[in-house]
Amino acid sequence: MTTVIMRTTARAVVPIILVVALSLFVEGHNLPGGGFIAGVLTTTAFALLYIAFGLDFLERGVLGRDIEPGKTPSRDRVVIAYRRVFSFGLAISVASGLVPLLFDLPFLSQTYVEFENVPLYGHLELASALAFDFGVYCVVVGGLLTILSVVGAE
Amino acid sequence: MDGLVITPMLVVLVAAVGTLLFRRQPRVRLAVSLSGAVGYAVAVAALAWYVVIAPAAPGIATYQVGDWPAPFGITLVADGLSVFMLSMVATIGPASLVFSARYLPKYDRRTFYYPLSHFLLLGVTGAFLAGDLFNLFVWFEVMLMASYVFVAYYGGPQHTRAAFWYVALNLVASAVFLLAVGGIYATTGTLNMADIAQRLADPAAAGIDPAPVVGLLALLLSVFAIKAGLVPFQFWIPTAYRAAPPPITALLAGASKKVGIYAIIRLSFTVFAGAQVPVSLPWVSGSSPLAFVGPILFVMAAGSILVGGLGAVGRDSVEGVLAYSSIGQVGFIAIPVAIAATTSSPTLRRVGILAALVYALNHTIAKGLLFLAAGTIESATGTTDLDELGGLAGRSPALSSAVFVGTLALVGIPPLSGFFGKLLVFDTAVRAGAASVLALLLVGSLLTIAYTSRAWNRGFWGVRTPAVEDAAVDPIQVAILVGLAAAILAVGVEFESVYRFADAAATAALDTESYVEAVDPQAVNGGEQP
Repeated sequence: MTTVIMRTTARAVVPIILVVALSLFVEGHNLPGGGFIAGVLTTTAFALLYIAFGLDFLERGVLGRDIEPGKTPSRDRVVIAYRRVFSFGLAISVASGLVPLLFDLPFLSQTYVEFENVPLYGHLELASALAFDFGVYCVVVGGLLTILSVVGAE
Repeated sequence: MDGLVITPMLVVLVAAVGTLLFRRQPRVRLAVSLSGAVGYAVAVAALAWYVVIAPAAPGIATYQVGDWPAPFGITLVADGLSVFMLSMVATIGPASLVFSARYLPKYDRRTFYYPLSHFLLLGVTGAFLAGDLFNLFVWFEVMLMASYVFVAYYGGPQHTRAAFWYVALNLVASAVFLLAVGGIYATTGTLNMADIAQRLADPAAAGIDPAPVVGLLALLLSVFAIKAGLVPFQFWIPTAYRAAPPPITALLAGASKKVGIYAIIRLSFTVFAGAQVPVSLPWVSGSSPLAFVGPILFVMAAGSILVGGLGAVGRDSVEGVLAYSSIGQVGFIAIPVAIAATTSSPTLRRVGILAALVYALNHTIAKGLLFLAAGTIESATGTTDLDELGGLAGRSPALSSAVFVGTLALVGIPPLSGFFGKLLVFDTAVRAGAASVLALLLVGSLLTIAYTSRAWNRGFWGVRTPAVEDAAVDPIQVAILVGLAAAILAVGVEFESVYRFADAAATAALDTESYVEAVDPQAVNGGEQP
């Protein structure tokens, strides 16, 4: 699949996908979107990179590391990083649910603050649900990319 | 104090994430897991004390997650029934986790074992506390996702095969479940259980037609019967129970199975009993969905007792006997529920549910003990094949006495918990005046005696086989088994307080009014959503 067309398209499309994912993530709490769908979209960006440039592209091309020969896919450094993202996301989500208990509110209670006249953005609403969504985002990205890279390598 | 309702769930959830985060430090991970298990038992005990046992106990407590009012938010309800079920899980759950720490080989695939077993507990707990149908579905899924991995845990051909069947069957069941949940939403315009009960009791005021509820309840019943392993949905049990690691099988038989029973009792009696729907099918007629549930459940339960009992007599491995025995025992739990659904007398109905609950408690502890014992036997001798076992009684008296107590509890010998369970089930049948049911129960009990004594004779008495001679029995594993055996004895000796607890649970299961009042779903106009 690593044709010139594929690679050129990937170069142009991947940044757009990531920006759309970010916007879905930020507005998720009161418009269609949220951590889950943003995570899925981010994963598709990675999937596109994998298809266009191969599984080792992230380590060799982006991070500039050498690849250890003969490694098993589930012990790969990148895959271990994905798994960390997964655990980290789960911890963030649970912790964000537990925070309201400190304020004597029920589990998972949420609140928000609004900012007016934010440069570039105008009206910005920052919800505490964003922390939970960020956890979900990390779980989805970490989980899906682990599956994708391990199964893809095998 | 209503925060206590969610505490058991939060404890296991934090323990699950903690064991995942500390997966590189085995000691820390074990400490997190075990303190999670102990914390869970403490949290459930505190909840039981606050809701039911304390002198001025309210009898029911609710929790609105995220402060969203019912019927819109996620409601958690802890009443007598939920708390009684949770107490069972709090007995077998920590025992299973401590046992796992001693059972798993040192360099086994432990990484995901602990987080997943905590998630399994989380799913079970959530299902018992969920106050709306959709969340019941979600917690079922949480429980199933974890159990899928455990059935496939060892990764051999027979494990993969068992897992494949298990996953396929449960995916179909989940789809049917979701379909029924959607149907109930379409029929009643709500998914909050208290709100459903309220609307069905007065369909004209809510502007709904309750007729489809009977069919939808039948769909739900089939789903819960799959989880509980009632005939004709019992076929997945033997392979799945043999494939999963024994401590997990103890959890599956002790806790997950009871979720099916709980859901049948909760939905049929608390939620749908108030609906006035004329049911007239051949042999079946009545004015509430219960009239329909009763006979079907009865046929399934009768089938389970026979299939489980007959199947267990012919098995050649300890787990095989126990797995089939589980099918039969669930039949014993379902028979009084079926009688309670068929009868119109409120007293008999309460007695029936009570009998089912006490029997379920006995089954959880006794079968949990026996499955854990199967794990001990396997790690000590390397086999659970009855042909290769023999003379265990002389080789390890402590292990054998614990198993002996568990076996007697299954059979129902006084003063063990099993005796009172069986007594109440027989009592329900006598009060219902059903001679055929009584005969069936007798046959089932005889089969229980047959397969337990056969397994005992072949495994524990007789000449020691080479495998038994070289056995190295782990003392801590045996200590856990002895602890569970002591629990069986304690339930029997202190049966009066257990009876009061179970009575409160049975009363709560039938008391739709207090349930609705406690949840207090706000009125939504007509059958239309705003």
